[in-house]
Amino acid sequence: MSSTIINPQPAIGTVPDWLDPTPWLDTNYTAADVRHALGSETPDESTLAALLSPAAEPFLEAMAARAQAITRRHFGRTIQLYIPLYLSSYCSGGCAYCGFAADRRTERHALGFDAVEKELVAIKAMGFEELLLLTGERSSHADLNYLRECVERSARHFHNITIEVFPMAADEYRVLAEAGCTGVTLYQETYDPEIYDEMHRWGPKKNFDARLDAPSRALAGGLRFAGLGALLGLADPRSDMLALYRHARHLQKTHWKSGLSLSFPRIRTEQGGFVPTHPVDEKMLAQIIFAFRICLPDVPLNLSTRESAAFRDGIAGLGVNKMSIASKTTVGGYSDGGSDEGQFDISDSRGLKPFCDMLRSKNLEPVYKNWDAAYRSVA
Amino acid sequence: MKLATENLKLGGHEFSSRLILGTGKFSDTETMIRAIEASGTELVTVALRRFNREKPDDDLCAPLAKLKNVRLMPNTSGAMNANEAVRAAQLGRELSGSPFVKVEIHPNPHHLMPDAIETYAAAKELAADGFIVLPYIPADPVLAKKLEDAGCAAVMPLGAAIGSGGGLSTADMIKLIIRDSNIPVIVDAGLRAPSEAARAMEMGCDACLVNSAIAAAGDPAAMARAFALGVETGAAARRAGLMPKSEVAVASSPLTSFLS
Repeated sequence: MSSTIINPQPAIGTVPDWLDPTPWLDTNYTAADVRHALGSETPDESTLAALLSPAAEPFLEAMAARAQAITRRHFGRTIQLYIPLYLSSYCSGGCAYCGFAADRRTERHALGFDAVEKELVAIKAMGFEELLLLTGERSSHADLNYLRECVERSARHFHNITIEVFPMAADEYRVLAEAGCTGVTLYQETYDPEIYDEMHRWGPKKNFDARLDAPSRALAGGLRFAGLGALLGLADPRSDMLALYRHARHLQKTHWKSGLSLSFPRIRTEQGGFVPTHPVDEKMLAQIIFAFRICLPDVPLNLSTRESAAFRDGIAGLGVNKMSIASKTTVGGYSDGGSDEGQFDISDSRGLKPFCDMLRSKNLEPVYKNWDAAYRSVA
Repeated sequence: MKLATENLKLGGHEFSSRLILGTGKFSDTETMIRAIEASGTELVTVALRRFNREKPDDDLCAPLAKLKNVRLMPNTSGAMNANEAVRAAQLGRELSGSPFVKVEIHPNPHHLMPDAIETYAAAKELAADGFIVLPYIPADPVLAKKLEDAGCAAVMPLGAAIGSGGGLSTADMIKLIIRDSNIPVIVDAGLRAPSEAARAMEMGCDACLVNSAIAAAGDPAAMARAFALGVETGAAARRAGLMPKSEVAVASSPLTSFLS
């Protein structure tokens, strides 16, 4: 089996035409453009660019109303729940912004299979049916065989297993699909190749092109869902968000049977003390989420516990239709207290019950199971 | 012309209500139940992926099964091909005890358009296996006849995309399906307003299946009642016999009087 997608010394990445956001970045959008975008029946790059522009800031309330109406129509009054399980904090990567980067002096752990079982039982007892398994970059502690075993074990407990791990070759993704994995989350971090090169200081992740192509390989390998995103704070958010939109549209056209979802992670404080050069405040984050809901009405939008309880309460149902809760970003931690050092700090540290009570108070139903193991065949 | 004075007949079962409800997208189970009760429906469809026996407060099947005078019809939403749909249907029958199945296969999880080829294969196999099969299909008159020949109890062409509120955008094709069908024709998906349900019934549909328009309404129970009235009104108008439409005025002194 080939896992040689890695070029040891890649050049700075390239932005293919289908991804390039620059044609939509030069325009000075006006209030009239924003009004036109808000009423658009066939949203495209121009619509998104107008809604992301400073001219749209005074229209935030109108954007929220439209985003809520679209979300309600497509996803109903529901919020789908999922939970992450960090399997390993070993990492060969050198991401400048990450608490698990190889040069961080954090204590490393990887769950043995018995420990994995304990975590699965504890998470299942909480009621979740969608589990996201995470690792760092490929390492001897967390390689394909390890992941396959973890997916197989998880698939015995849960209906829906997805992964957020190192990029792989298509035939490696197929191994995981056959083990019961349905989807992959893989953020490009930034679509700006120069900033990408600067942020990813060494290791296989330095290869921009290989990462960019990974969701496509995962879908070709038989996974059914791909989650995309860019880490907000690394580069110009408008540029990255336009590229994210174009990436999603490209995958919709090239993998027509696949489901996409998008996330909007903002950089959080971590042990290394990285300070984002392009900080995105909550208003901008909300503007981004509303703009994506309007431009991609039928694509699920996720929001994790990186964001504050107040922000999450406000945005639930206003564009976002899928959320994690009661999450640990430490390795394991559900069956016992876990360690102190997580990948990033959680902002919304509420338990499951208060979160679900909040959703219900907003007339939103928390949905635990929205998939079935009957739909696990690999194409 | 079909007269809707009789009950709706599906696979040997009779229903006095001609409104079928979907059960997704509601804000909570109580709201869903209130809407079902207000609608007077006797048949509801529920996705196998929302069955959750291990967590009763997340399960849609058990609370629906408790309702008197309401039959359950599991659906295979989430299935990407015929094999998955058949497996899901069997599991749904086992868990719900219902012989009804709504075959729903949409390989693209974004626009949710039904796959005619896979739907036909699954429907044929499930009908042969004794299920009462109601396939959700594109509004395709040829496919509808093939599904009738394959043993389906009804066909359920879409009015517009699921959850779109696009109304009866396929009206002309649905009319062709109705004209030649020997099994009930049920409009499924797309309806936004009770007036559209009335129009579907006036056109000669045998029933309407509604979900989003009720679940996403300001007051779901009130909207469910309004849809029941829309369906009844349309059926009554159909029974009464609509005046034929004509593109030219009918002259009181016919041009052909010289012929007499």
